Amino acid sequence: MLEVKNVTVRYKNSIGIKNASFIADKKEIVGFIGADGAGKSSLIHAIAGVIHFEGEIIYDGFSYHSPKEAEKIKQNIGLMPQGLGLVLYHNLTVKEHLDFFTSLRGLKNDTKLKEYKRKLLHMAGLLEFTDRLAGNLSGGMMQKLSLICTLLHRPKLLILDEPTTGVDPLSRLELWDILENIKHEEESTILMSTGYIQEASRCDKLLLFDNNSIIADGKVDELLTSAKDYTYEETKCSDECFSFNGYTYSLKPLNAKHKKPTLESLYFINTLKRAKSIPNIEISDRENIIDIPNIVMEAKGVTKKFGKFIANDHIDMVLKRGEILGLLGANGAGKTTFIKMLLGLLPLDEGELYLLGKQIKSGKDRQNLKNKIGYVSQHFALYEDMSVRENLIYFANLHKIPLRETQKKIDRLSTQLGFKNYLDSLAKELPLGIKQRFSVAVAILHEPVVLFLDEPTSGVDVVARAQFWKLLRLLKEKWQISILITTHYMSEAEFCDRVVLLKRGKKIVDDSVKNLSKLNPDAKNFEDIFLKYYRKF
Amino acid sequence: MKFSVIKAYFIKEYIELYRSKVIFILYIMPIMIMILFGYGIKLEVTHAKTIIIDNDNSIFSQKIIEKFLHSKYFNTKVLQISENEALKSIKRAKTDILIIIPSSFEKNILHNQKSEIGVFIDGSFPIRAITMESYVKGVLLDAAMKTATMFGKKMDGLITINQRALFNQAMRDENAIVPGLFGLILLVAPAILSALLIVKEKENGTIFNFYSSPVKKDEFIIGKLSTAFLLYSSAIFLLFLIATYIFSVPFRGSFIIFWFVSEIYVLISISIGLLISIITNRQIVALVVTVIITIIPGFLYSGMLMPISSMKSESYIEAHIFPVMYYNHIVYDTFLIGQGFSSFKNIEYLVILIFYALTILTISYTLLKKEMR
Repeated sequence: MLEVKNVTVRYKNSIGIKNASFIADKKEIVGFIGADGAGKSSLIHAIAGVIHFEGEIIYDGFSYHSPKEAEKIKQNIGLMPQGLGLVLYHNLTVKEHLDFFTSLRGLKNDTKLKEYKRKLLHMAGLLEFTDRLAGNLSGGMMQKLSLICTLLHRPKLLILDEPTTGVDPLSRLELWDILENIKHEEESTILMSTGYIQEASRCDKLLLFDNNSIIADGKVDELLTSAKDYTYEETKCSDECFSFNGYTYSLKPLNAKHKKPTLESLYFINTLKRAKSIPNIEISDRENIIDIPNIVMEAKGVTKKFGKFIANDHIDMVLKRGEILGLLGANGAGKTTFIKMLLGLLPLDEGELYLLGKQIKSGKDRQNLKNKIGYVSQHFALYEDMSVRENLIYFANLHKIPLRETQKKIDRLSTQLGFKNYLDSLAKELPLGIKQRFSVAVAILHEPVVLFLDEPTSGVDVVARAQFWKLLRLLKEKWQISILITTHYMSEAEFCDRVVLLKRGKKIVDDSVKNLSKLNPDAKNFEDIFLKYYRKF
Repeated sequence: MKFSVIKAYFIKEYIELYRSKVIFILYIMPIMIMILFGYGIKLEVTHAKTIIIDNDNSIFSQKIIEKFLHSKYFNTKVLQISENEALKSIKRAKTDILIIIPSSFEKNILHNQKSEIGVFIDGSFPIRAITMESYVKGVLLDAAMKTATMFGKKMDGLITINQRALFNQAMRDENAIVPGLFGLILLVAPAILSALLIVKEKENGTIFNFYSSPVKKDEFIIGKLSTAFLLYSSAIFLLFLIATYIFSVPFRGSFIIFWFVSEIYVLISISIGLLISIITNRQIVALVVTVIITIIPGFLYSGMLMPISSMKSESYIEAHIFPVMYYNHIVYDTFLIGQGFSSFKNIEYLVILIFYALTILTISYTLLKKEMR
């Protein structure tokens, strides 16, 4: 049994997690749910005894207060830190990994262990790949290999930090199957963090993280019950409330029908309780009216190879005026490669690409269209050591917007997108959600007609993500802007008009969201729908 | 301490080094440094552009001039120009050395009177100037003595010169430079490798395998360091062969002493790398820091360019802080002199090196923590 008492992790200038306490039992999967920077990893590191912390952790009657004291129970712990294949050595084969971890854990390589290794390899579907270098495995396989390397010494306390992030949906299911198996056979306590709220339903118990503390814990049903009184069908309201995607959350009783809450609801309600209000996103009309062609972007048989690896395999895609097109896929599916080709950052190996009626062959072609394109890159390419205002002025200058006009725009956008209070903070000090909206502000300063967004929502908390999608909707409605957005959250498909799903460089789905729902009436959510296509191709 | 853990790390490192082809770079780098520096550094001056103004025109002065004309160290021209013109030619870097033989030079010598020969040397490169100065002095005195004897004059007691360079009779640059390169190469290369072996794991995240497992600090350190140690132990032999065969540097001392002290020195170097890997988190930072704190002292205080004994105050103290001075002293001894342990200084320096290695290892062992920071 694991007992965590008042654990606090401090970094040089910030706090990782404040006063976290919880209890986990044998044969229990405890899910850590929350956005990036909410404190999940800090708590995980503290429990695994790899970082200095305050407070006390008791595992199986053994109490420890520092990494040094935790040394004694490390033989019982298995830690899989965050990052695709993070604990793997890219130049070692699958088999060499198992051998290395066997020695590292001081295990005897007897027939019993060999049998167990075989079983693990079989579970992970890696039996045929024992001679493959870890560097040549797909993201999902890497995570499965990391997991079985962590399981080799049969840890009684298994700690996994976002093992499923960026992994394709099929591999994610397989990872979960392995975990459930281990839970029953080894009677382990499993702690795992995840950015996918949908995975929470498979956990026995949940810890919800927000703002560096645990905001709620309990079984899924218990948590949902606690949110019941605050959740309504979408309705108009004015005070201490927020509406999004068919739901309205309100602290004050509303004259509307209650709706069954989801886990996301807990975050909205918690934010409302803490901050009393969630700022609404607005956007005013376009200043310059221009003609936008019916088809904004068209790709015909676009192919990109890196050596033997085919990143994009004959992709056809069309982006229409005023459409939000979601480009979905796991890490390494070819989403970023496609966007880079759109921007002329990578030359095409095959196929044709048209943007606003003009063919794109190189960066030069894109230069000519620069004033019509807005782009937000993965990890937001901003100048970290400049303030938000300075960044905005700099990018406005790039588009030759006069300074007086820029000032007006900054004023308006920062108010409407809710980052006015942060205007004079350095970009690196911003919370992820603010940074995300501010990046969009940078990209729309010059009022483009098309917006490319590369994984803007990954790691962002539920509330900020909701505000972000609201912003995109508004841009589409008021500006008639076309948006191409990539994401590895399959569930975000429901916010798009149309989705394209990539699997290892190939397009496997291209349909409107309405059609997909119609074709798959029995599916609970988009995860299920895409899983079906994933299996088929 | 479990041997199996050490072995696991050791094997893993070699597989990685081999598969990533880095192992070849690790061997090529020291060889490159030795060959480039061995051929590249020339302290000897040959073909110095020399002008002689002979105001005497006697047999005596002719004999002296002849000496210069026949030396490979000087490209001598005898000109009848004014002193000022000749000095201008030095200013324009057309001439390195100007020698002025005064009138009635021969007469003065024969009458046992003092006579001065004017020597002007381009001093813009001090080391080169000093070298040229000593050449000129040597040639002049030698010529003067021989000529005087020819004239039946006994000059012994009056002039003594000793042109013989001790321990390097051949005056070969290779003999002076190449042994000094051991101190540079074996300080830089093993430190870089051992620093990168650990920082690489930090940067990639695989360090968690160490943090979160019961692996002990000593097992981790030995596993990592033995990889670098063994690799550069073999490099010692390789470098030795290059020095003795390609550069034909004589080896007069005991190979056992040379080998033993080199192993200690490699141990110091990898411990420095270990220390750097503890305070850095990025490979590029570790690389730059290692290069700066090993190459500069490894070169300056190697004794290649300047003997430590002739250094003054600050540089003298600095030289004693870095290990290269002690090691190179013993290496030069084993190559060129061969006194071995009959010299007390060699024993003293060996003890200092061992102490050095143990100190750095202890410091890094204490500083290494099995936790993130």
